[in-house]
Amino acid sequence: MMRVWAFVERDLRKFIRNPLAMLSTILLPIVYLLIIGNAFQGTLKHLPLAVVDQDHGPYAKRMSDRLRSIEAGPNTIRVIFEHDPAFAEAEVRSGKLKGALMIPPHFSRDILRGTGPQLGLLLDNTDAVAASALNQAVSGALAFLEVDSVPIRADLKAPRVLPLELYRRIDYDASIVPGAVIMSIFMGAMITGAFNLVMDRYLGVHESYLSTPLTRRDIVLGIMISGVLVTTLVGLFVLGAGIWLTGLPVAGGATSFLAVLLVIVLTALGLLGMMCIFLARVDHPRIVGLFGGFLNIILFFPSGAVYPIESFPPWLRSFTRYNPETYAVHALKSILFKGAQWDAIQGDLIFLGSFTLIMFLLSTGMYRRTL
Amino acid sequence: MTDAIVVKELVKRYGSLSAVDHISFDVASGECFGSLGPNGAGKTTLIRVLTGLIRKTEGEAFVSGYDVTKQADHVRRAIGVVSQAMTTDLDLSGWENLDIYARYYEVPLKARKARIALLLDLIGLASRAGDLVATYSGGMRRRLEIARGLIHRPKILFLDEPTIGLDPQSRRVVWELLQQFRREEQLTIFLTTHYMDEADLLCDRIAIIDNGKIIALDTPENHKKEIPGSDIVDVTLERDDTNEGIETIIAEMETLPFVHQVIRHSGGQESGPDVLNIYSDNGAQAIPVLMERLQARGMKILAMGLKQQTLEDVFIHYTGRSIRSEGGKKVSYLIGAGLPRRWGN
Repeated sequence: MMRVWAFVERDLRKFIRNPLAMLSTILLPIVYLLIIGNAFQGTLKHLPLAVVDQDHGPYAKRMSDRLRSIEAGPNTIRVIFEHDPAFAEAEVRSGKLKGALMIPPHFSRDILRGTGPQLGLLLDNTDAVAASALNQAVSGALAFLEVDSVPIRADLKAPRVLPLELYRRIDYDASIVPGAVIMSIFMGAMITGAFNLVMDRYLGVHESYLSTPLTRRDIVLGIMISGVLVTTLVGLFVLGAGIWLTGLPVAGGATSFLAVLLVIVLTALGLLGMMCIFLARVDHPRIVGLFGGFLNIILFFPSGAVYPIESFPPWLRSFTRYNPETYAVHALKSILFKGAQWDAIQGDLIFLGSFTLIMFLLSTGMYRRTL
Repeated sequence: MTDAIVVKELVKRYGSLSAVDHISFDVASGECFGSLGPNGAGKTTLIRVLTGLIRKTEGEAFVSGYDVTKQADHVRRAIGVVSQAMTTDLDLSGWENLDIYARYYEVPLKARKARIALLLDLIGLASRAGDLVATYSGGMRRRLEIARGLIHRPKILFLDEPTIGLDPQSRRVVWELLQQFRREEQLTIFLTTHYMDEADLLCDRIAIIDNGKIIALDTPENHKKEIPGSDIVDVTLERDDTNEGIETIIAEMETLPFVHQVIRHSGGQESGPDVLNIYSDNGAQAIPVLMERLQARGMKILAMGLKQQTLEDVFIHYTGRSIRSEGGKKVSYLIGAGLPRRWGN
């Protein structure tokens, strides 16, 4: 093992003396967490909607009031009152407004007479998500338009849904903390481990150690150990920063921490082994950059870190079954959000462990001991 | 003396190109053996096969009694290697570089510390041991690489162009260092070079390699004896594209009693001027006569010089061209300037 540890020490010393690499590994996932977490926040807000009231009757006023209460409450829309329907339409077409609600003349009279009252809703349907949210908000406001007042007491005879939340509420930004941790592990695996071998080849440094008694196993094991040490530290740091920045209430105690540590270590080893396979014969760092960006997209986004896997199309859902990041994200979410015990993450750990073992064996076999 | 290196009909091919083409030689223990040739001759490929860095295509090679293919691990433990490229880690200190390599050879802690201290002292870097190699000059780095090659007390040291890119003073320091280590550590040295003076000074025997083949193998003195005449008059003439005038004058010169041989080449440039190496026993006496004959033929003399013969002339004698002719460098068109090292030269 003296040879392996010498190789580990070499890589660690070199990494420590390049603080910029370590900083970028930590900063990118945190910046991602801050930007994605705050930009999306799970639901859409402040969508600008023009209201053109050509009726001025009581139901038109009631409709406007309902929309105002949505603006004040869930904040889905921002109401702007306009007089000119043509101007409102032009504003929607120019992209300044997401939609315009036209309340036609005689709207209140048609409601009272029951002669098919209609509202016009112009939508910028090039933004399908915003258009759908606006449609929902306006439909919601319209639903109880004929009811003069909302009763304080619920009608006990009417069927109701009682939502029971099994876990503490997790905001969207906090919900992507596990994803940010996995991203930091991926970044760590990219700039340590096999990347050092690529740089050695690029600089010609490998020629000197390939003429020593170092075996293939020594080299692959050495880079994986140094890589997992750095990557685990980076992952834990990003997890701590994520908890602090989002105020994520962490479930569980020391056992949870050990489980998180195990998931991070196994994920790091699996990804490091996978990098070793892909980069086993690469000798230019530019290829690592190109390859890393591509791999990050195909592993991270289908992992369930930012969007539920169940909503993916079938072909993408099939891919997620073989994606190690899917299991890592699931395990971290289970531990951090639900305080899950070993049995709940057993399947994830078995997959990650098997994946790591296969990657290590394949990468040792693929590493070329000659120039 | 036993043989430290035995090579029999060794071949290394890259596709249809034979970088090493049926080479055979042996190197005795304690000998300093030089492989001399221009870039692209096959020297680096040869050293890489012997050090187990690339696999041979055909033939046999034994280093320290071990087969380089079947017993590569034994070979690696017996040899030290100083590559052509600077391969010390820039982000590590001089001490760390040596310490980590000593651990690759599993040198125990106590012996390791003593050996590193001794080597750093011998190469004159003891005071800079804690500094990052990135702060070293090229000469300092090369000395450190030689020390690194010797960290585990190898029996044989392979050096691939050990002074390439160094200034004259640093080259001299490296030469003295190699001579000292050879003396003190009873080393067998195998070195490749395209510097004639380096091969002349350091080597007991020199194999002149060109196009993957050994074209001559002997001591430096015997190589020089192969060339008739002790002086060489170098004449540089305006290029004669018709070829007729220059061929006539060469034929005429070779009839002169004090001229042994005339070799024409282009001084290492494809479309350069014509350079004539005129081998003579008395160059000083020959110069006025040669000038007169050349001017009478209407040849335009660009330069003329007299020198004692060197190994450069030996190389020209055998190959008909200068050793300074550069070989091509392979470049990956896919990703720019990458992948050249695999091919070696």
